[in-house]
Amino acid sequence: MANLKHLKDQEGYLMIDNRNAPVPDEIVVAQGLPIGAGRGMQEFATYTCSHCQRVVVLNPERQRERAYCRGCHHLICDPCAAIRAQTLTCRTFEQVIDETLSQSLIIGA
Amino acid sequence: MGARYSGNFTSLTLAAVADTTTFTTNQVVYLAGGSATQRINVSEVYLGGEATGASAVQIAVLARDSTAVTGAISGGRNGLLDGSGTAPATAPSFGTTAATTQGQRSATLHLLHLSYNAYGGIVRWVARPGEEPSLLGTAASLGEMSLSCFTGTVSAGSSGHILFEVA
Repeated sequence: MANLKHLKDQEGYLMIDNRNAPVPDEIVVAQGLPIGAGRGMQEFATYTCSHCQRVVVLNPERQRERAYCRGCHHLICDPCAAIRAQTLTCRTFEQVIDETLSQSLIIGA
Repeated sequence: MGARYSGNFTSLTLAAVADTTTFTTNQVVYLAGGSATQRINVSEVYLGGEATGASAVQIAVLARDSTAVTGAISGGRNGLLDGSGTAPATAPSFGTTAATTQGQRSATLHLLHLSYNAYGGIVRWVARPGEEPSLLGTAASLGEMSLSCFTGTVSAGSSGHILFEVA
């Protein structure tokens, strides 16, 4: 089980200011933002999935547990959690970049 | 720490563009590596709306491009954050248009959704240091990102910036 301090250390920040004019809930929810994110000024914590680098906005109303990868000790997004559950492998985006960079250097050599 | 840049743009009229559809000049912001091995980390995205009517919902998306641009990227401004900093030998590519053909947003590799109302609205996302999405090189889909607006967007003016670092 990851400790809370460690997870907090991974958080980014999102601010949306719609005080002048709102965005309907159906639009913000379709974009993965919490209900009400289109009204007034809102601030949210975010995290970057270590497997695909998608930025996930933390919905304070969510009851389900966030997916945590014990391979890289990082929060991952729901789609990557589904892949992790099927394959039981941890493949971080850093690995993808390292492998691509290595191939580029080999080809360029 | 590598060179940190502010890529910024003013009064772009961002309009709705579907995934895997070729962008139109000056309706998108591109960020790509300056060379085949250059790595860039994106640490902040900011948009400020300039719409003159209240119904100007913008569904802004930072995404990887499934089709990279061809030709040089230009438009916008790309400045070192540290005035006394030294730029890398090859500067990152940042801008709002490409010389030959425009890119296309990936249908699956959306990184960040920033829905807001451009009628006086602003939206700002900041990554935790060490948690920045990154790109590598210049080829799709790892080497180019775009900031653009998704289907359902009401066309409106926006200014903003992307802060990034050459790693």
